[in-house]
Amino acid sequence: MTLQSQAVSDFQKATQHYIAGLPLDRGAWLTDHRWSAVTRFSDLGFPDKRQEAWRYTSIEGLLKQGFVTSDSDMEVVGTEFEHHFLDGPTAGRVVFVDGAFQPSLSDTHVPGVRINNLRSAMETSDLETLKSVGTLSGPGTHGFSALNMATMRDGALIRVSAGLRLDAPIDLVSISTSSASGRAMRPRHLIVLEQDAEATLVERYLSTSDNAYFTNLVCEVLLEERASLVHQRVQQESPSAYHLADLHIELQADASYRGVNLAIGGAWSRTKIGNSFAAPGASCELHGLYLAGEGQLVDFHLDVDHGVPGCDSRENFRGILYGNGRAVFDGRILVQKQAQKSSAHLSNANLMLSRRAEIDTKPQLEILADDVMCSHGTTVGQIDPQALFYLRSRGLSEERARRLLCLGFASEILEQFESGSLQDHLAELIQQKIGSETKGAS
Amino acid sequence: MLRIRDLRTSVEGKEILKGIDLEVKAGEVHAVMGPNGSGKSTLAHVLAGRDGYQVTGGDVEFLGQDLLDLEVEERAHKGLFLAMQYPVELPGVNNLTFLRESLNAVRRARGEEEMDAVGFMKLVRRKADEVKLDHKLLKRSVNAGFSGGEKKRNEILQMAMLEPRLAILDETDSGLDIDALRTVADGVNMMRSPERALIVVTHYQRLLEYIEPDHLHVLAGGRIVHSGGKELAFELEERGYGWLLEENAA
Ligand SMILES: Nc1ncnc2c1ncn2[C@@H]1O[C@H](COP(=O)(O)OP(=O)(O)O)[C@@H](O)[C@H]1O
Ligand SMILES: [Mg+2]
Repeated sequence: MTLQSQAVSDFQKATQHYIAGLPLDRGAWLTDHRWSAVTRFSDLGFPDKRQEAWRYTSIEGLLKQGFVTSDSDMEVVGTEFEHHFLDGPTAGRVVFVDGAFQPSLSDTHVPGVRINNLRSAMETSDLETLKSVGTLSGPGTHGFSALNMATMRDGALIRVSAGLRLDAPIDLVSISTSSASGRAMRPRHLIVLEQDAEATLVERYLSTSDNAYFTNLVCEVLLEERASLVHQRVQQESPSAYHLADLHIELQADASYRGVNLAIGGAWSRTKIGNSFAAPGASCELHGLYLAGEGQLVDFHLDVDHGVPGCDSRENFRGILYGNGRAVFDGRILVQKQAQKSSAHLSNANLMLSRRAEIDTKPQLEILADDVMCSHGTTVGQIDPQALFYLRSRGLSEERARRLLCLGFASEILEQFESGSLQDHLAELIQQKIGSETKGAS
Repeated sequence: MLRIRDLRTSVEGKEILKGIDLEVKAGEVHAVMGPNGSGKSTLAHVLAGRDGYQVTGGDVEFLGQDLLDLEVEERAHKGLFLAMQYPVELPGVNNLTFLRESLNAVRRARGEEEMDAVGFMKLVRRKADEVKLDHKLLKRSVNAGFSGGEKKRNEILQMAMLEPRLAILDETDSGLDIDALRTVADGVNMMRSPERALIVVTHYQRLLEYIEPDHLHVLAGGRIVHSGGKELAFELEERGYGWLLEENAA
């Protein structure tokens, strides 16, 4: 048996076992969904390199690691999690540790915002909340997301009431501890903003260990008419972790979504963001910054679908690569025939700090309408020697000068994390990460 | 303070500086003039330590040390400053952060304490006023989208902050209107002190009406072909460089 088919059969068994073992009061409502996802998984298997979307991103290491065991009730090790919370005022906090919701660490009482978690919604058969789960993702677009649907256990369910404007961010943080070692966590989040609602959601994945584990996550975002969401995402997993995120966004008329993604952790990470416009007048901005160093792979796939007229999309991603780090950037924009008066712009810039680093960047614009404004641009470059000389001639060491230039390169994206203290914190993380790499080109 | 002896420099195999001799003492202001392409910027860059220039002969002593042996930042630490003809834009690098980092790097090297945020802000505001740099530009990215005049004022601000022992200004006056020119000249005159020397590279005699140099040198074809006092500027204004080049060729 090949690694692939062995893995498929292992996962099938484990998944069927998992579902069959679920108590009736825990997720019975979703059992149909789960079984259809199992069928889906059997049909799809795991993605492989023959599929264009996975051409540069091998899952072999991930399958070898196994991660067949998913998150069951693990003992939460350590109790000091508060310092991971966002600074400053928040409009609610949802904390997961090793995949499980932590009521004592969370703050779900925000007037006008319904904050729940998937597990308790399943336990109480809260159909009103659950009915939207999976509407965007379906049973899964590849084997991993099908497994997420089949065995999902917990996640955040957030609904912001019509017309409500939150002036502080919602803090959604998932922390992995050493107990997560060797396991898969399959969180599933659902974020709904009703008509005219405005909110900021900060969604982070952190780790207190450097163990290997697998976050296999699906997040669905539904914005109703004129709703507006700022979605700030940080992937800062353990250096040995695997992280796979599928983000589905749907925008109703005149809704606006602005997302910023920072990928800095993990040994292997892949984020797929799919956006579809359901009605005219909506806008979607996706920003991102990825760093990949020695032994790391980071992959972003964007899929923006203009299926209706009069929507705007803008993607701006930047990458810093060093050591033998590898990154994949795949930005696909489809403007369908009927989607006149669309505007779609895509840009991807990469800063290579080492000759051994690798980037595969592939903008794909498929434009079938004729009355549109579209552009794309991709760059791969090194640190500008003139800029380096300028800084050094003012007394900065070469290392310090390189760091400052890297941060300068990143700043356009970091600014999208509006909070000053979060920006400072992330800038500090970036400096630590690239620290020794800036001593000289290798 | 600075002694250049028979300095020869090539760029991409082509000899640009063909034996420069120059001595600058503390307290002096030297002007360097000369036609385009004569090697003025090359000389300034070699002194500041920029890559890509091969020194093929001669030596440079700065404050008793072999200057050419030092790294770029070490030269800055020792008190060398180059205001560049084309200041580099650094998108995303905040001007204040940059100024503070360089000031503290130079202070550390001098064995002084780093300046705290409050002290730094006071100082930078005062100096920015002196060089008439809009405070808004302090919060922006270094030189990014600055006008030509703003970039040059920003160079003068850096010089005023770092208080170098030897400042080289490479055509800081080029492309400036008369107001900006006066500001630059005032900035330079403010820096004049018995402990400090300045080398002002300029294309125009205009600047020298405001900054009176002690010595004036004409650089042509990679050599200093003539040296004199400030009155030489007026002669050059009237007669151009032609007569010097002919004299030199003869
Ligand atoms: N980086 C470079 N590569 C190739 N040629 C150069 C470079 N820098 C300067 N030069 C050449 O060296 C000569 C002197 O240039 P420069 O020092 O800039 O003159 P100036 O500042 O007096 O106008 C010119 O012929 C110029 O073309
Ligand atoms: Mg020049």
